[in-house]
Amino acid sequence: MPARARFEEEVLPHLDAGYNLARWLARNAHDADDVMQEACVRALRYIDSVRPGKARSWFLTIVRHAFYDWCKVNRPAELVYDSQDSVAAMADSVVIDPESAALRGVEARRLAEVVDALPLPLRETLLLLQLEALSYNEIAHVLGVPIGTVMSRLSRARAALLEVTQEVQIRRGRV
Amino acid sequence: MNCSTAIERLSPYVDGELHALPRILLARHLRGCASCAARVEELRRLRSRLRSELPHHRVSPQLQARVQTLLATLPMAGAPKGPASRRPEPAPRWRWLAGSALAGSAATLAALLAVNLVVNRIAAQDIVAEAVANHVQATLGQHLIEIASSDQHTVKPWLSARLDYSPPVQDLAAEGFALLGGRLSTLHAQRAATLVYRYRFHVIDVFVRPLPVVAPEEKRSLRGFNVAHASAGGMDFLAVSDVNADVLGAFVARLAAGSPGR
Repeated sequence: MPARARFEEEVLPHLDAGYNLARWLARNAHDADDVMQEACVRALRYIDSVRPGKARSWFLTIVRHAFYDWCKVNRPAELVYDSQDSVAAMADSVVIDPESAALRGVEARRLAEVVDALPLPLRETLLLLQLEALSYNEIAHVLGVPIGTVMSRLSRARAALLEVTQEVQIRRGRV
Repeated sequence: MNCSTAIERLSPYVDGELHALPRILLARHLRGCASCAARVEELRRLRSRLRSELPHHRVSPQLQARVQTLLATLPMAGAPKGPASRRPEPAPRWRWLAGSALAGSAATLAALLAVNLVVNRIAAQDIVAEAVANHVQATLGQHLIEIASSDQHTVKPWLSARLDYSPPVQDLAAEGFALLGGRLSTLHAQRAATLVYRYRFHVIDVFVRPLPVVAPEEKRSLRGFNVAHASAGGMDFLAVSDVNADVLGAFVARLAAGSPGR
């Protein structure tokens, strides 16, 4: 089967999943589009390596690699991960707007902002679990790390989210 | 189990990723430890908030177009390899709706409807009601389009892979009906290919199923939506939209006329 036909059959159904990951990793639509374009070029080139039933995690892995390569060129600083200062920095980076705090939609946006502020390794692990509903095993495979690392990243990501959302509430005066 | 061991396992516990033995040991610890139990509740709440509140981003039409451009540089699906592998040009399209062609397409619709269809009125009303309900639900919700593409060579394989038949897919943008994409629906408890088109500011759903199906009346309206129907080439086309009944009837007849038998 030619590459184009296989791509249409195997990859196109997962284009949204790939884009969602790229968008959460890159944090904006413009860069996510660039990452996806590159990911599609690679997916076409390596289309013969898709195993039956694995197209989704295969494509997510490609999107992730495309993002990291893009990041090396465009945002090298982001690839340096310091776990110590991250939570304090996250709390500071969440903008507080008490005027609109009553709105439920604002709460949801704030949660998304806090996730956006998570360090890259924690963010991608959490997103693969919560948005793409991958199992720990599949996540370990996509990220190329041991399953124990997946577990500890999820624990740290959630601990940080709970800490930050609580701190934000305290600073807003609504304990 | 002590708290420091327990805390490491709370996240996989909440995700249902703990094996039986550690899960049982942890559950026992939770019954006796209020602070770890409270933490589990916090984690559960966070998990469900993340699931329901985080936006799920979707591919924009611009990116969709970029991917299609990328694909267009490659040989067509199914084409043999080699330099002379270009597809034959499609036959010139029948210029429907041009000038006095409206009357002609109405006659075609009538002819198509005459083809060997057993009309079971009650079942047909059911299917129309189901189709309209499906259309309303889809246009209000997030799942109007599951595969977004204006390219029939993208939508068709996506649908075919999920059905036991291969629905004909045509983009009629040149004639004012732009293909937006497709989704899977359920009609009469069976999966049905659903093509989504835009006509001016209206969305049109076309449910494409293999014959024999119980055919509805040729035109109807229900809950403010028009329904039109035609069959050809072993396929049944049922269109639902808020565009006016004549345009919808002509459109569905055009779709049926343009689909060769298989």
